[in-house]
Amino acid sequence: MRGKDVRLDGVSITYPNGFTAVEPTDLTIEAGEFFSILGPSGCGKTTILRAVSGFVEPSAGRVLIGGEDQRGIRPNARPTALIFQNLALFPLMPVWENVAFGLEARGISRSERRKRADELLELVALREQADKKPGALSGGQRQRVAIARALAVEPAVLLLDEPLSALDLKLRQHMRAELREIQRKTGVTFIYITHDQGEALTMSDRIAVMNNGVVEQVGTGDDVYAAPRTAFAASFVGETNIFEGRVSATDGPMARIETPFGTFLGRNPTGLDTGAHAMLFVRPEAMKIGAGENRFEAQLVRRDLEGAYLNLVFSTRGKDVAVHITNDGQPLALSGEAPTRLGFGSEQAVVLASGPLARTGREMAAQ
Amino acid sequence: MSGLLTRCGRALTLFFFGAVVLWALVLILLPQLTMLERAMTAPKRQLDSSIALSLSRDADTCISVLRTHEAAPAANAAPESGGLAVPSLSTMGTQPSAQSGGLAIPSMSNMGTSPANGTATEAPTRPYILQCDRTTTRKQMVRSSEEEPAWLDELYGLPRLAVQDTDPIETQIETAREIGGLARTLYTELKEAEANAFPYTAENFHWLFAARAIPLSPEQKAIENARLSKKLYGLLGLRFERDGQVYERIGMITLTRTIAFAAMATALALVLCYPMAYKVALATPPQQAVWLFLGLVIPYAIVELMRVYAWTTIIDNEGLLNGLLTWAGMISEPIQFKRMPGTIFLVIVYTYVLFMVFPIYNVMATLDRNQIEAAKDLGARAWRVHARIIIPHAKPGIAVGCIATFMLAAGAFSVPRIISSGLQSEWFSQTIYNKFFESENSNIGAAYSFTYTLVCFVVVGLFMWAMRTRLKDFARVQ
Repeated sequence: MRGKDVRLDGVSITYPNGFTAVEPTDLTIEAGEFFSILGPSGCGKTTILRAVSGFVEPSAGRVLIGGEDQRGIRPNARPTALIFQNLALFPLMPVWENVAFGLEARGISRSERRKRADELLELVALREQADKKPGALSGGQRQRVAIARALAVEPAVLLLDEPLSALDLKLRQHMRAELREIQRKTGVTFIYITHDQGEALTMSDRIAVMNNGVVEQVGTGDDVYAAPRTAFAASFVGETNIFEGRVSATDGPMARIETPFGTFLGRNPTGLDTGAHAMLFVRPEAMKIGAGENRFEAQLVRRDLEGAYLNLVFSTRGKDVAVHITNDGQPLALSGEAPTRLGFGSEQAVVLASGPLARTGREMAAQ
Repeated sequence: MSGLLTRCGRALTLFFFGAVVLWALVLILLPQLTMLERAMTAPKRQLDSSIALSLSRDADTCISVLRTHEAAPAANAAPESGGLAVPSLSTMGTQPSAQSGGLAIPSMSNMGTSPANGTATEAPTRPYILQCDRTTTRKQMVRSSEEEPAWLDELYGLPRLAVQDTDPIETQIETAREIGGLARTLYTELKEAEANAFPYTAENFHWLFAARAIPLSPEQKAIENARLSKKLYGLLGLRFERDGQVYERIGMITLTRTIAFAAMATALALVLCYPMAYKVALATPPQQAVWLFLGLVIPYAIVELMRVYAWTTIIDNEGLLNGLLTWAGMISEPIQFKRMPGTIFLVIVYTYVLFMVFPIYNVMATLDRNQIEAAKDLGARAWRVHARIIIPHAKPGIAVGCIATFMLAAGAFSVPRIISSGLQSEWFSQTIYNKFFESENSNIGAAYSFTYTLVCFVVVGLFMWAMRTRLKDFARVQ
């Protein structure tokens, strides 16, 4: 099996009811790459996937797979295979027939189908379960059947629509490694849709962050995490502290931002000008107690032990600031009485233009 | 069972099971058993014993009348007057003897005694006496028209005796006494035998297989023989020719024909409904499907009789269809739609198609559309998606729909009755109705009805076996 590259060339998708799910988008996914599209639900990531698989025709632009324009080619003729969020296994067929369904559609003889199905089930360690019905398998096993079924048609591009979301945490973590392994073994291009940044960061070669039908940033996990380029990307990927204000001065790659909590220095990757409305983003693990170039004072309001980490929540002028410090086994000499001096380095802070943010857990819960 | 106990408690569970047993008993088992018993009961008619009994009574009356006659020999002077006989209203009329003028009652039945007075040359010693005339062992027994006629003396080995009016009175009394004695003994024996006899008979079922001679001219016969349906009946042994005369087993032909038509109507309904159900359940966005669904239901808000009757306005000789065709100049004579079996067939499909659509729709709507997309994505063409994904999923619905439509079509009464208005062969349900309410032996109706139930049951059973639909799957439809 050999992966192919996928190129979206000015693709936009508008539904008949006038809703634009995907704004004009250019995206190139390399052959053999594990590429994730990360975004909240309703951001248009599944629509992109369906455009690649052929269930949706783009309203404008082209989808190219291996350099070939896919316009007018139906899903059953594209070199793609889709793994559905609910897997969509065929419950009335035994596992091996599920896996061999794509081969059946290609008119391959029964004995040959059985042989190939067994090989693929070997790959996903399910050889023993070949004659059971999918309903008799566990969640993780069903997941692997779905992968084997998709791989059976030797697709150049495998499209995965949040396939792990129904699994519990342990299994999900295990399956991440397994997916990565299968991708490496087969060399097929994986396009993986998820709203879970952990999944995207651990598995992907590159990630596209999407919001409201727009691809906000494309880059490696490290890039997206450490050097976000939009306020949404910064707030969606990982936890972060946000200080909103106005750029008061720029100095080469750095910018000074004036906020109600103090004036802070941070990186200025997008070249904001003085006077621009801006936000400064600092990761909780970049915050230090009593150290750093940028300093302010805050009151400790909560401390949660999360094993290797201590998650501290401070409050300054009605704003919560999260601080993660490694748990080194030493008791923490902090009291809730006196204000604590907090600080962070300017290299770990990013100044970006103000913009829509990802909703926090609290906002989602309130809805 | 244990689940039911924990959920509903003992009282409710007992009530539930009680209700189920009661229902099965009262509404299924009991009616069928009653029907079977009726079917196996011979039609009511005079038993052999009652003929023996009436013979003994006739003999007694004859003796007493002869005694009176002996005591008053004056009456003997005018033998031609024919005076003393007791007029009988019984249906067992006598063949009036030549001498007995006025009193004769014309016999409506063929059960009379044969005339015993072969000796017209001798003068009778007494006037005509009905009971004496009937006092003979040469009595015909009551038998159905299928059977050979039977006579009491031959059947039970009695001497052939009769009271001759030419004998001296003494001899006549003697003969009557002898006959009376024989009849009484026979009555006692027969009564006992009949009480011990097995009360059931398959005679009513014979009617279903009975062959009737069909009077046909040679030309008609040639036309009939060329018809495919007649050839098929011939192959099934339901139609045969003997000595140039055509016989048909009419009951079985109607039964076979009805079952075949019902099966064909079911198949046509399935062919029509599957795409409809698919379109509404799976190929339409849910918001629009609601309207399609409504469109399907509205025609069925009309009562069945009206729905059927509406068709007569279309297919009538002066109906809509003939009117249109005449107006368009395509025909000059109205087409006799009422005489075409196809019309009944189509109206049945129309009337019961809903019972096919909804079970299929209901099951299909539960199919995860992702499965269809997954199959397409894996390269399957539309027909394979149907064959491998949708039909297997919808199978319980298809089975329920087919069984419901088949049973409704097979049992249809109003449709053939209203549409054909007697202008074409009966539907078997009509035959049953006629046997029940319009024939002299309603037990034949019971036999037909029971057989039909059995045949339909077997057909449905075979169908379920062919569909490999286990009862478990039916639970999924609901």
